[in-house]
Amino acid sequence: MVMRKLQLPLSQTQKVRFERAIERLQSLSSTANSDASVIVTDSIPVNHDDAFLKGHGTSEVDGELLATVCGVVERVDKLVYVRTLRARYKPEVGDIVVGRVIEVAQKRWRVELNFTQDGVLMLSSMNMPDGIQRRRTSVDELNMRNIFVEHDVVCAEVRNFQHDGSLQLQARSQKYGKLEKGQLLKVDPYLVKRSKHHFHYVENLGIDLIIGCNGFIWVGEHVEVRDPMAIDDQKDEEMISSSSTVKEQSHIPVETRQTVCRVGNAIRVLSNLGFTVTLEVIIETVNLSNSKNIDIHDMLGSEFHVVVAENEAERRRTKRKK
Amino acid sequence: MGSVKRKSVEESSDSAPPQKVQREDDSTQIINEELVGCVHDVSFPENYVPLAPSVHNKPPAKDFPFTLDSFQSEAIKCLDNGESVMVSAHTSAGKTVVASYAIAMSLKENQRVIYTSPIKALSNQKYRDFKEEFSDVGLMTGDVTIDPNASCLVMTTEILRSMQYKGSEIMREVAWIIFDEVHYMRDSERGVVWEESIVMAPKNSRFVFLSATVPNAKEFADWVAKVHQQPCHIVYTDYRPTPLQHYVFPAGGNGLYLVVDEKAKFHEDSFQKSLNALVPTNEGDKKRDNGKSQKGLVIGKLGEESDIFKLVKMIIQRQYDPVILFSFSKKECEALAMQMSKMDLNSDDEKDAVETIFTSVHHSGLLPILKEVIEILFQEGLIKCLFATETFSIGLNMPAKTVVFTNVRKFDGDKFRWLSSGEYIQMSGRAGRRGIDKRGICILMVDEKMEPAVAKSMLKGSADSLNSAFHLSYNMLLNQLRCEEGDPENLLRNSFFQFQADRAIPDLEKQIKSLEEERDSMVIEEEESLKNYYNLILQYKSLKKDIREIVFTPKYCLPFLLPNRAVCLDCTNDDEEPQSFGIEDQDTWGVIMKFNKVKSLSEDDDNRRPEDANYTVDVLTRCMVSKDGVGKKKVKAVPIKERGEPVVVTVPLSQIKSLSSAIMNIPKDLVPLEARENALKKVSELLSRHPDGIPLDPEVDMKIKSSSYKKTVRRLEALENLFEKHKIAKSPLITEKLKVLHMKEELTAKIKSLKKTVRSSTALAFKDELKARKRVLRRLGYITSDNVVELKGKVACEISSAEELTLTELMFSGIFKDAKVEELVSLLSCFVWRERLPDAAKPREELDLLFIQLQDTARRVAELQLDCKVEIDVESFVQSFRPDIMEAVHAWAKGSKFYEVMEIARVFEGSLIRAIRRMEEVLQQLIVAAKSIGETQLEAKLEEAVSKIKRDIVFAASLYL
Repeated sequence: MVMRKLQLPLSQTQKVRFERAIERLQSLSSTANSDASVIVTDSIPVNHDDAFLKGHGTSEVDGELLATVCGVVERVDKLVYVRTLRARYKPEVGDIVVGRVIEVAQKRWRVELNFTQDGVLMLSSMNMPDGIQRRRTSVDELNMRNIFVEHDVVCAEVRNFQHDGSLQLQARSQKYGKLEKGQLLKVDPYLVKRSKHHFHYVENLGIDLIIGCNGFIWVGEHVEVRDPMAIDDQKDEEMISSSSTVKEQSHIPVETRQTVCRVGNAIRVLSNLGFTVTLEVIIETVNLSNSKNIDIHDMLGSEFHVVVAENEAERRRTKRKK
Repeated sequence: MGSVKRKSVEESSDSAPPQKVQREDDSTQIINEELVGCVHDVSFPENYVPLAPSVHNKPPAKDFPFTLDSFQSEAIKCLDNGESVMVSAHTSAGKTVVASYAIAMSLKENQRVIYTSPIKALSNQKYRDFKEEFSDVGLMTGDVTIDPNASCLVMTTEILRSMQYKGSEIMREVAWIIFDEVHYMRDSERGVVWEESIVMAPKNSRFVFLSATVPNAKEFADWVAKVHQQPCHIVYTDYRPTPLQHYVFPAGGNGLYLVVDEKAKFHEDSFQKSLNALVPTNEGDKKRDNGKSQKGLVIGKLGEESDIFKLVKMIIQRQYDPVILFSFSKKECEALAMQMSKMDLNSDDEKDAVETIFTSVHHSGLLPILKEVIEILFQEGLIKCLFATETFSIGLNMPAKTVVFTNVRKFDGDKFRWLSSGEYIQMSGRAGRRGIDKRGICILMVDEKMEPAVAKSMLKGSADSLNSAFHLSYNMLLNQLRCEEGDPENLLRNSFFQFQADRAIPDLEKQIKSLEEERDSMVIEEEESLKNYYNLILQYKSLKKDIREIVFTPKYCLPFLLPNRAVCLDCTNDDEEPQSFGIEDQDTWGVIMKFNKVKSLSEDDDNRRPEDANYTVDVLTRCMVSKDGVGKKKVKAVPIKERGEPVVVTVPLSQIKSLSSAIMNIPKDLVPLEARENALKKVSELLSRHPDGIPLDPEVDMKIKSSSYKKTVRRLEALENLFEKHKIAKSPLITEKLKVLHMKEELTAKIKSLKKTVRSSTALAFKDELKARKRVLRRLGYITSDNVVELKGKVACEISSAEELTLTELMFSGIFKDAKVEELVSLLSCFVWRERLPDAAKPREELDLLFIQLQDTARRVAELQLDCKVEIDVESFVQSFRPDIMEAVHAWAKGSKFYEVMEIARVFEGSLIRAIRRMEEVLQQLIVAAKSIGETQLEAKLEEAVSKIKRDIVFAASLYL
């Protein structure tokens, strides 16, 4: 367990405490798969008499199964594949991702996702702001910049890989789309575990948390998902025409801004320490900072890192006991 | 189709083709557009304030070259208001007008519209019709995809569902979804697809539902309104553009009898007359049990004209053609048609157009292309006489003047039952061509006596209700779990099944209340002690039964079932009173003739030991012989002292009460009545000397030494003591009192079961099953404990055309990697073939080996499901994979000609083609799955498999495209 990216000045006692926490964490981590880790061109032992399926990250060369990426060998029945560590994000159909628009192109937006290529969000894969089900016209195409422009942060679902290998995104419902009034954080994708839900509304803090599978995490003010059905047509039009101005004017209370920063910093700390980022851990870290009366800008200091590491070691220990 | 229909009106009036002139007499032009009654109703979601119908100055999206019927214009009004509508009307009434208006409207508004139908062939036909009219039309079925970017997409409902799961952009642009033949929702296998796709449809889209007449259309609309929070209109009409006359043609008779006239009046006298004219076919020749009614064929063999021949001749003479003759099996359909081959029904001018076709068949076993040729010829009026199966009754408008039902019973899997009124309505909907015929004619061929009430309910009964056939599948669960918003519980909560269950609750509660009142009104004196006594009797009976069962296990009793032994038989009348309340049962005595082993139907009977098999015993005893209404003999054993004939009857072992140690001396020849009478007299004499019949003692004589037997006997003795001591036993009227108590107990049981139903329907339907199925998925490693779909689950997600679990397990077992391409294809055939062929040869060894692996996997999957408390019959699950066409498919993949393949598999061409096409679908799904796990070699192999089977006549394009 190493602190990456960041060198923290630790005092002597902090150093001792930190090392002890790391030691405990290491002793708790499972060793079941540790011998299965491979680097590129390592041979993966398989029983060649038996049929086997070779999945991602493997290739057969001269009758030998070789790893094409660094990672851990996983086996599901007769399928052998290598799960990568610390690599770029590898999309799977159905993943929820957060990304940044980098280009408005013909009928589509290009979205940066920390994948080897950009994701493509088609105009037709977006719900129209007016909520009407219809075919997209050339007028819609011209108005694409009213929906997203470059540098906007968007949230989408991985739809599929096209035949040419490009990655298609989609926004299934109103809760996907542009993200505003918040922070985008980037962590290593392997720190995000796929779970049933990636959208979270933290009620007591009044914020939305979207943990994208690609390691992009959105923390922002809570937005009610608006159902265009419920609103009268007339009102709807008003809303659309005035929405852009309203949004700019609307004021975010300082408390909310502070909460967003606090959550953001909590995620940063976890990422620095290389801990898996889940809703549960984030909230716990936030609470920890509150209970220890740590200021938002002090959260990135060495003391809090040590505290979080100790806390995590304790958490995993009690969890294992159960 | 309205437009097409009306066109024919003009044709018959202006430029009537020659064959129509001939029957000018009864095809007077229908010009009068009388007002057609229809019912219009609206379902609003809760808390919905209906908008005032806005005044539309918009011109209609589409003009029709004829006046609309009132139900059509009502429905179109709803569409113009932008609200969903359910149209429930007969097939011929012209529902398609509504669909084509919705399409025109969407195209005008630059919105997408999806049209779904249950059957691929129907989709093809509709595609052709719409393409002619609108041009911007695409088609997507499992077989073909044409212009998937068009504004109007015709597809099967399965495709729509998979689009919804995958999140196609089309779903974001579709404003109107048209569900044709939505009553298909009650189909036990596929109906659930409709529910899924209606529940998952985009929130802002609107629907057009076209359905046959269903009595609970309102309920359906209520559901749609609730699930989608939008008003849903119902337009219902019973109207038939051409009224129907229903006739009966009695077997062996000579004429038609009008039973229901065009004013829907039932003529009972005429019906009776027709039954009197019925010449019953010889009882012995009729083998209804073995599944083939030999109607027509039998008589045909005797050299006379068969009924069907006579009938068709009559129809032609009276110019009632074209005619569709429905029968309920493909084989029968062909056999009947063969008899017609002598007849030539086309006039000379038509012969120029078509050389030989005058009679034809239409069923799912035909080559698809041949089927389509027949459909087209029929529409052109060149086929006069079409023998068809039920499949011809759904879909495109293909009416005839006359419809004949060659059978009044239909085999529904385990027995021949009367045709339901719903089926009758659907099929008779083919009778009468709008604008050509003044009335349609339905002829029912009756070959057995029918109660007038049965006939009446069949001919005049109401349509079948639209009931949910919802059920869970693993593919559905995985797809729901995979997406962020998906939640299987949500789907269940919104299902039509749940809606109907919720609806039924108030009704059930009312029932419970009235039953409870009835129960409480029954007052019995000394109830406590009577109840005690009642329970004793029940116990006593069950103990007696236990003993009897031990004694009569074949192991013990077979050595004693000797001829001429006197036996005591149970002859309680089980029809009227299921329970008698004395300690004594009614019984009779007889003499054993011989015993037989019953051959059970399953094949692996040989492996069973003789002890386990079932036995029946032939016994000479006194019987009441009566004839019931249909003329079948009914034989019932009666006590020996009563009146009756001495007859040898076959009884199951369970009906024997006890064996006597007495062996009677009886002559061998029992053919003369006197001999039998004498034999019974001897039994009576024996009984008068020994009233108990000197029973064999189980322990001493039969040497039964099981401990459970002894224990039961002791308990029985203890119980008998209690009876004697019981004070109420001596009370007068004890039997009557017991009867009353029994009724009360039954009521209580009924209330209990009703309460259970209420409880289970207030809870989420399928809740337990959902839990169990999730458990299965977890145990197999398809999902994690937090319901996140894992790698294997993602593979199973892709497989929707075959059993997903078994196929996924097989894939991960590496078996596909090992096998040759042809073998792989051949193995997949087991997933799509469901028919059991009687004379199928065992596949060669390599294939059989693969099949055994498949069976092992299937058994493992099934047993695991059973373990997780999913209700499943392991054996029948394993047996559902059939190896019967493995060889044929292997040959096809090797490149054999189709006729060569047909020689290997003795099946209908159409069935084989359907199976191969289905396999191609499965292969495509497997390709996607292989891609997702990154196994490129397997992917290439599967691609190769597709290219090997996708060729020639099997994949010949539809003629409609």
